[in-house]
Amino acid sequence: MSDLPAIEALDLRKSFGENRAVQGVSFQVNRGEIFSLLGPNGAGKTTTISMLSCLLRPDDGDARVMGRSIRSDPSGVKSVLGVVPQEIALYEDLSARENLTFWGKMYDLRGSKLKARVDEVLEVIGLRDRANERVGKYSGGMKRRVNIGVALLHKPQVVYMDEPTVGIDPQSRRNILDNVVRLKNEGMTVLYTTHYMEEAQELSDHIGIMDHGKLIACGTNEELVKLVGQQTRIDLTLNAHVESVAAAWREIEGVSHVAAENGVATALVNDSNLALPHLFEAASRLSARITSVNIREPNLEAVFLHLTGRALRD
Amino acid sequence: MKAFDIALKDLTRSFRSAFAIVFMFGVPLLVTGLFYVMFGNIASEGGFSLPKTKVVIANLDEGGPKFQVNPKNIPGGKKAETMGELVVSILQSEEMADLIEVALTDSAESARSAVDSQAAQVAIIIPADFSHQFADVDEEAFIEFYQDPTLTIGPAIIKAVLNRFLDGMSGVKIAVTVFLDEADESQRGLAGQVAQQYLKISLAENEDMEDELLETRNPSGGAQRKEEETQSLLLSIVGPIMGGMMVFYAFFTGASTAQSILREEEERTLPRLFTTPTPQAVILTGKLFSVFLTVCVQVVVLILAARFIFGIQWGEPKSASMMAAGIIFTASSFGIFINSFLKNTKQGGVLFGGVLTVTGMMGMIKIFAMNSPAAQTMGDAVSLLVPQGWAVRGLTQSMSGESPESIFLTLLVSLAWSAVFFVVGVWKFNRRYA
Repeated sequence: MSDLPAIEALDLRKSFGENRAVQGVSFQVNRGEIFSLLGPNGAGKTTTISMLSCLLRPDDGDARVMGRSIRSDPSGVKSVLGVVPQEIALYEDLSARENLTFWGKMYDLRGSKLKARVDEVLEVIGLRDRANERVGKYSGGMKRRVNIGVALLHKPQVVYMDEPTVGIDPQSRRNILDNVVRLKNEGMTVLYTTHYMEEAQELSDHIGIMDHGKLIACGTNEELVKLVGQQTRIDLTLNAHVESVAAAWREIEGVSHVAAENGVATALVNDSNLALPHLFEAASRLSARITSVNIREPNLEAVFLHLTGRALRD
Repeated sequence: MKAFDIALKDLTRSFRSAFAIVFMFGVPLLVTGLFYVMFGNIASEGGFSLPKTKVVIANLDEGGPKFQVNPKNIPGGKKAETMGELVVSILQSEEMADLIEVALTDSAESARSAVDSQAAQVAIIIPADFSHQFADVDEEAFIEFYQDPTLTIGPAIIKAVLNRFLDGMSGVKIAVTVFLDEADESQRGLAGQVAQQYLKISLAENEDMEDELLETRNPSGGAQRKEEETQSLLLSIVGPIMGGMMVFYAFFTGASTAQSILREEEERTLPRLFTTPTPQAVILTGKLFSVFLTVCVQVVVLILAARFIFGIQWGEPKSASMMAAGIIFTASSFGIFINSFLKNTKQGGVLFGGVLTVTGMMGMIKIFAMNSPAAQTMGDAVSLLVPQGWAVRGLTQSMSGESPESIFLTLLVSLAWSAVFFVVGVWKFNRRYA
């Protein structure tokens, strides 16, 4: 039993009308590890998590969470799960303590055990001193922390975190990332979705990259980076003619996977020393003024660019 | 247990909203309070009392044989040696002071001219032989009554006072006549005592004359019970208004509390609830239970507050409980029903403004038409087309003191409305979240 994966997604599919949000996603998350689903907005991450948390019924396929099927045993799945939704899902007119107490009851906690767990979680999320203030008065980061705390009340075996750091200050973000690592150290399995490459790199044991409803790559950070070899990523921010410059770059030898988006032209190159003068020359020839240059060693963004031909941005 | 936890949480949230508190309790009580003050002022400012009638009396009575009335039997304790003086004493008594302002004059002409010149509204002319006529068993005694023909109420009261007095005196005259006919020669000397005795009884009956006259004029106006009757009249106006307000706002509370299902969906707390090991049926039950509880608290608080603040009588405890149950069930189920047709809370504004206001006003037509028998039949028919109307019907039945048995049918119909609303609402919500 203990050898079974914590999460096993088997060809999950979900459509909303004509929109095929998830198209045959399969992956496996081992017990006690952090698995990140990385992808841009609309890639299908939240739909996948919604199916894994029994909120949406898959059109096809199945998934097992701690050996329980999301199709045949949804209540069993829910009992071992803690879900941190992307949006703040709290009662703003109740205090943090009242929120935690209520949600604890929904996870079948009662009496002194509930009270003890509420105190513990308040300590973990660092809000014990302000526990009796209404959540509506909290900052965005504090609300995020309570949002996470709710999912931890019943000490779940598996925690889903759907983009928990969106729109918050660096300090709260740091607190959340530290807590995710702490959960792993306590033996929990974490399924984490994000479109921040740095978070996936920092936290994850394994990473699945999603785009257009498909899982396009899966592995450890190192395994994924190897997909793009030793290519260096170069971003040039231009004042104009980004598309024309990108088109010109595609003709340069040693340059692969060129993208143009939001005033930035991006290229993966085998040797940055050799390629840079040619890239600058093409920009200059097309009268595009370079306002900034960014050269990065191979990383997940380069992997995404390599696999999709698009940059991984917000 | 979890359903109760959800309901309790919703109840807590509802009662933490100042807006909700104002609309649930403040507005119904405030509106009723305004009516209470408004009608209360009319009563205290004399809106229910009569203006004094100015009376000029020309007492020309020269007296008659053997006439003597014990002063302690005469109102005000004044001595009266003629029947004319007795009439004047009664009209000048303290008991009549709230109704009549009396002035005396020497001649019949001056009394009539006072009325003609509108210095007085009534002239009473007691003829010179009034006592004689009264004493003579073969004669009839008359008093001339001269009034402003444009006036009705004041002169009618004076006339009623005089008629009553003269009826009493006629009774005395009849009693003495019968005594003289039946008595032996030796007993005839007691006729004076018989007359005194009947006169005492007759005058005693005149003491509460003002109360009775006002009672005839206006059921709320009796002197001793005036305040109580005015209060009763006030409550008969304010009570149904308070009841109507309670029904109207209970339906608003039912709808706005049931809207918390949609609100929670938008706040994403409902989907989160669905990720917990809590069955969907339990979650929805909790949400529906919270609607029922909130309306229940509102109705109970309003009933008690209206009872203690305004003194409104809701009827027998059993009847009032049945009436309250009817309101609570229909208001909460109607809220669930109409919300089940909404896609989001934004549609709620239109729905509340339209459906609830129109059906609420239709239901309250019964109350608006209460004082118009012609409109009441139509009002009853229209109001019973909507659930609010049945709630109002139970309310008016209970307030008018009808027995629980007669209210039972109304409650049954209210429960039938509720069952239909509840089943349709729950079915639609279940389908939505399946």
